[in-house]
Amino acid sequence: MAKPLRVDSEVISNAAEGGVSRRLVLRIEQGWPEAQPGQFLMLSPGARGRVERYDPLLPRPMAIFRTRRMGGEAAVEVLYKVVGRGTALLADARPGERVRLVGPLGRGFPEVSPGERVILVGGGTGVASLFDLARRSSKRARVVVLLGARTAADLMGRADFEGLDVDLQVATDDGSEGATGFVTELLEREIARGDTARVYACGPTPMMRRAAEITGTAGLPCLVSLENRMACGFGVCLGCAVPRADQGYHLVCQEGPVFESGDLSWEGLP
Amino acid sequence: MTTPGAPDLSTHLGGIQLRNPVLTASGTFGYGTEFAPFMDLRRIGGFVAKSLTLEPRHGNPPPRIVETPAGMLNAISLENVGVNAFVEEKLPEIPEGVPVIASVFGTEIELYAEVCKRLMGAPKVVGIEVNASCPHVQSGGIEFGQNPAVLARLVRTVRRAISLPLLVKLSPNVTDIAEMARVCEGEGADGISAINTLQALVVDVETRRPSLSNGLGGLSGPAIRPVALRMVWQCARAVEIPVCGIGGICSAEDAIQFLLCGAAAVQIGTANFLNPMAAAEVVEGIEGYCTRHGVERVSDLVGAVDFPGR
Repeated sequence: MAKPLRVDSEVISNAAEGGVSRRLVLRIEQGWPEAQPGQFLMLSPGARGRVERYDPLLPRPMAIFRTRRMGGEAAVEVLYKVVGRGTALLADARPGERVRLVGPLGRGFPEVSPGERVILVGGGTGVASLFDLARRSSKRARVVVLLGARTAADLMGRADFEGLDVDLQVATDDGSEGATGFVTELLEREIARGDTARVYACGPTPMMRRAAEITGTAGLPCLVSLENRMACGFGVCLGCAVPRADQGYHLVCQEGPVFESGDLSWEGLP
Repeated sequence: MTTPGAPDLSTHLGGIQLRNPVLTASGTFGYGTEFAPFMDLRRIGGFVAKSLTLEPRHGNPPPRIVETPAGMLNAISLENVGVNAFVEEKLPEIPEGVPVIASVFGTEIELYAEVCKRLMGAPKVVGIEVNASCPHVQSGGIEFGQNPAVLARLVRTVRRAISLPLLVKLSPNVTDIAEMARVCEGEGADGISAINTLQALVVDVETRRPSLSNGLGGLSGPAIRPVALRMVWQCARAVEIPVCGIGGICSAEDAIQFLLCGAAAVQIGTANFLNPMAAAEVVEGIEGYCTRHGVERVSDLVGAVDFPGR
C-alpha cells in the first residue's frame, strides 16, 4: 500500500452541482501516490490559509471520488454534501485557498476480475466511494451501477456515472427520479436475473445491511464500505471501531473502510 | 549531535535522558509505527505507548468519540494488545534510537505491578508511566488517581516492582492536584505526567442520550490547555521531581508555555490526530524559539515564567 501524505492542497474548484451535491477539486503539487478505489482522505476544514484554527478540531473523512494526473501533479476530487459545521466550512473554501489533507488512507476495494459481473450499490453520499471502482472496472468487467437517494435533489454523481460504460439504474424514495423505492429493491431485481455477481455497497447503514441480507440469502459475496466518525484516519485514535462478527472490533480507518459484509456485526453498527 | 551554535534541546525526565523535550502522549500515538509514513520518529524525544494491561482489551462499543469546541471527548476504554504482544510484536517494529515509555494500566494494584514486571528488560523501554487517571473505565482508573491513599499504595507497589524510571500520570479530576503530585514523590516516583483528560459529557438533544456509548468521556485538545497549564504549574511548584506537561499542546508556543511553567518536557496528544507531523513540528519550533531568544539550553526555559507577586 502506498505511503500516505500530509499536504496543504490548493483548491482548484469547489462548487455546488445542483441538489445537495458539491464537488471539491484539490491540486496536490507532488508525491501523490496511486490511490486504490475506495480509499479516503482526512480533510481539515478549519485549517486554511496561514491561520491555524482549532474549531472545528478534527479533520473529516471523505471518499476519494476520482484522481486525475497532470504530470507530477494530481487533482483529487471529492463529492460531498453539507451536513454539519465541518462540511459547511469546507463549502466556503475558495479557489486558491489551501486545504490540509492526509491520504490516501485505508484499504480500498479488491480489484475486479476480467469478465466478472459486479453490482455496485450506492446510497446518498456513499456513491462517492464507488465511482473510481466503477470507472476502472468498466474497462474489464460487466458493471451494473445502482444509485439511490431520498429525492432527485439528493442524488449524487449521476452525470459522472452516465459517462461510463456501465448499466446505470436509479431509484429514489419518492420517485422523483428513476424507480420509486429503495435502491436495494433494484439490487434484488438484478440478482433475480440469475447471473452470479459480486456486490459492492456504500451508503447509509440500513441500506448496506439490507444489501448484506439480500446477498447473504442469494449466497453472493458482498463488500461494503463504511462511513464512520474518526479523529485521525490512520489507526491511532481508535474512535472508528465497529463490532466484528465474532468478537472485538475492526478499525474502519485501518482494516477498512471496505469489509466483507459477513465480517461485521450489523446490529452493533453506528 | 548538535550543530555548533544550535541550542541544546536535551533534557532529563526522572532519570530518562531525552534528546529533546517533546514526547507524544499515550493513546494518541499508537505503538509508534503508525507515524512512520509521516515523520522520522527519531526527530522527537520519544513516545509514550498506548496503555498496556496484562490481557488484551477490546474497548467500548461505538460511538467512542465526539467533537467538542476546540476539543474532543473519547471513551475508548483502553483497548490494547496486552503487554505480552506489545513486547513480542510491537517493540521489535519500532526503529532503533526511539526511546519508548511504556504506559501501564490495571484494574487492581497487583495487576499494574505484574504488567510492569513484564516490561523490565524489554529493549527500547526507557521508563514506565503509570496511568492513574483514566476517567472512562468503570472498574478502575479514576479511583487510583483521585484518592491520595490509594494512589500512594499504587505508586509504592509499582516502585517496588521495577527499577526503571517511574512516571505517574495524574488525573485532573481532583480538587488539589499538587497534593497528588506530592503523594507520588513521597512514594518514590521519578516524575509526574500531567494532565490526563478531563471527565466530561456531551448529550445528543435529538435522542436525549449521551453522545458516547459509555456516557461520560475524557475531554482533550486545545480546549483543556489553559487548565492543564495551571495544573502543571501547581505540580511543578509542589515537587522536586520533574513534571511532564500534557494538555492540548498543538504548537511550539503551546509547548514553551508548559516549559516556562515548570515542565521539564511535554507530551503532544490530540494534535497527533489532526496533524501526524505535529510533534516533529513542535521540536522544530522550540529550536527556532531558542535561537531567536538566545536560549542556549532548553532546560534554561524550565520554570522561567516571570509570575507577578510569586
